[in-house]
Amino acid sequence: MKEEKEDNKDLQVTPAREPAGEELDAAGKSLSEALRISFIILKVIMIVLVIAFLASGFKTVGSNERALVLRFGKIRGVGEKRILSPGLHWIFPYPIDEIVKIPVETQVNLPIDSFWYFQTEQEILSGQTRPVRPDQPLRPLRDGYCITRGERQDQAAGDFAGSDYSIVHSKWQLTYQIDDPEEFFINTYIEDVKPGDIYFNVITESVEPLLKNVFEDAVVTALVNYTIDEAISSQDRIPKHIKRLVQEKLDKIKSGIRVVSVQLTSSDYPRQVKDAFEASTRASQQRDREITKARTFAANTLNEAAGPVAEQLYLALHDESVSEQAKEMLWSQLAGTAREKIADARTYRTEVVERARANADYLLSILPEYKQRPELVMQKIYLDAIEQILDNADEKFVVQATEGSKGTEIRVLVNRDPKLKKKKSTEQTEEN
Amino acid sequence: MKNIAIAIFVALIIITLGLYLISFQVRETESCLVTTFGKATVEDQITAPGWYFKWPFPIQQVHRFDSRMRTYEVESEETTTAGGDPIIVSTYVVWKINKPLEFFNATKTVRRAQSEILHSRIRNTQNNVIGRHYFSEFVNSDPSKIAFESIQNEMLETLRQDIADAKVGIEITALGIKQLKVSEEVSKEVFERMRAERNRRAEVITSQGKGESIKIETDAKSKADELITAAEARATAIRGKGDAEAAKHYKKLEADPELAMLLRDLEALIKSMGEGTTIVIPTDMRPFNLLKGLPELKPAEPNEP
Repeated sequence: MKEEKEDNKDLQVTPAREPAGEELDAAGKSLSEALRISFIILKVIMIVLVIAFLASGFKTVGSNERALVLRFGKIRGVGEKRILSPGLHWIFPYPIDEIVKIPVETQVNLPIDSFWYFQTEQEILSGQTRPVRPDQPLRPLRDGYCITRGERQDQAAGDFAGSDYSIVHSKWQLTYQIDDPEEFFINTYIEDVKPGDIYFNVITESVEPLLKNVFEDAVVTALVNYTIDEAISSQDRIPKHIKRLVQEKLDKIKSGIRVVSVQLTSSDYPRQVKDAFEASTRASQQRDREITKARTFAANTLNEAAGPVAEQLYLALHDESVSEQAKEMLWSQLAGTAREKIADARTYRTEVVERARANADYLLSILPEYKQRPELVMQKIYLDAIEQILDNADEKFVVQATEGSKGTEIRVLVNRDPKLKKKKSTEQTEEN
Repeated sequence: MKNIAIAIFVALIIITLGLYLISFQVRETESCLVTTFGKATVEDQITAPGWYFKWPFPIQQVHRFDSRMRTYEVESEETTTAGGDPIIVSTYVVWKINKPLEFFNATKTVRRAQSEILHSRIRNTQNNVIGRHYFSEFVNSDPSKIAFESIQNEMLETLRQDIADAKVGIEITALGIKQLKVSEEVSKEVFERMRAERNRRAEVITSQGKGESIKIETDAKSKADELITAAEARATAIRGKGDAEAAKHYKKLEADPELAMLLRDLEALIKSMGEGTTIVIPTDMRPFNLLKGLPELKPAEPNEP
């Protein structure tokens, strides 16, 4: 525009030069002098303009951008050369060439809250949720939500199958970036950049409605395929599914936009049924606790019975394919009550064998002596035994037996339990 | 020299200005329509970008149309499925101007195209197509019966056909349902059902937990019992072996069975008269007879010389 103004000035001056050559008087001389000077100035201006015009063809492309050059409105170049990489480039100045810069490297986050229940500004700021009555409905135009499918039931059929859907609230974040600058420029609507606007913000704001619509469509489409529990547990599968749907649609319309990631930032049961859902969660926790307790009990019981190898041994006992050797290995590692029983048996075995051996050896050892002096040896053995018995005995009474008409009668009052015995409170009665 | 340079410069400027009058550029993002005294034919549409000539202003005029994709959404609206269930949907379309002449004749501006052409057609399509499907095709506990995507495709095809028939120069590139909701009344019922369903499930879970834990405990008990029984069996076997081994030594006792029996009896006697026994013994019995007095003793003669 500036150029044109200068051009007009030039046009006005040119015809003034010709009459100056015909009349040369003093006034004319000074006029021609003035004209000459202004002409020189004009020439300098023209040269500066030409240089400025050519220099205006230098364009820089930022490090996060790629650029396209439009020559007479059409993208210049073939193949790879169509896209200019970051750096300094020279193109023909306007109106021949025009540069279009597209910020491709920058990733943009777009939060989607349209599937969340209505919250007032205050609630959002304070982060508190207002409790709702269980019978308060969701207003379709104000509260956002998605519909999820019901749990698969075998007996469900016909019309009933569609009627056990659930409602779920969710918040998402879409991250995208421009992937194909050419497709993006040709197909995606960008508002004109007005003075004072930041180019990048204009792009972001312009694509937002498109992305929002496509994304919401994908969320609605994907979530009807999942149950509410799947949606709440934030499985990776759902964001992936949605990412795929969004990308498919963006590719189909040749938007040149790539979805970098889809995140489920938040998901929740409707507040109206929260209590029931929480009760169900508590029930699961209770179940888990009970099962853990039972498992601990089981582990303890088995441990007490047979030690750490209990489970293995039990399986081995019921498995024909386990070799005897392996079973013996397990038996040898036994602990607990079972081990005690076996240990007792071993002790008994040793004892019984040793005693038998000792008795036999004893017999054999005294036999020669016995054969020579049976009476004496017998007496000795007998008295040894009596001595031992009397040693062991707690109380001993030696009684004088006398002949009487009624024979001999001895009455002894004894305390059966020696530990409870007070003094020697025994009574000895002797008749006659 | 000077004059020639200036002349060339001036000429260039005049040519440039002249070209502005008789030519125009079509950008990649546009399509144009050239009207001659206000009239245009199909040949006057320019959709390929580049540099074109025309007659200057009063004769020919260039109308530019942005041919990039735009989105247009219809606000949420209640409609009815084939089964009579009310359902609230919101549909959006991605559209662009593909035939400048038709578009020029039909509406001229984007705003009017959206409010006059697209709005009612999208609503019609939405109501018609949804009216042909049952609610169970939108959401179903059996995922294989969900036809949500194909319903959207059907809407797209129907709308495309409709727009193409109307010859308004618009192409629909994509269509989707971006909100799928139920009415206020129905949402109450849904909550009711969700709550009942959860409560039922909580009960199932609780009883499952009880059953499971009892099973685990009984299993463990029976396993433990079995192991102990097995161990007892082994123990009995070991005892048996011990008895058998001990029996081998009994052979040696055959050297003098009577003595062996006596020794055995004595041992049993000692064992049975353990600690805590009270014994009453007559003085006749040795060695207590010594309490009564000293027996007569004669030094023994040597038995054998």
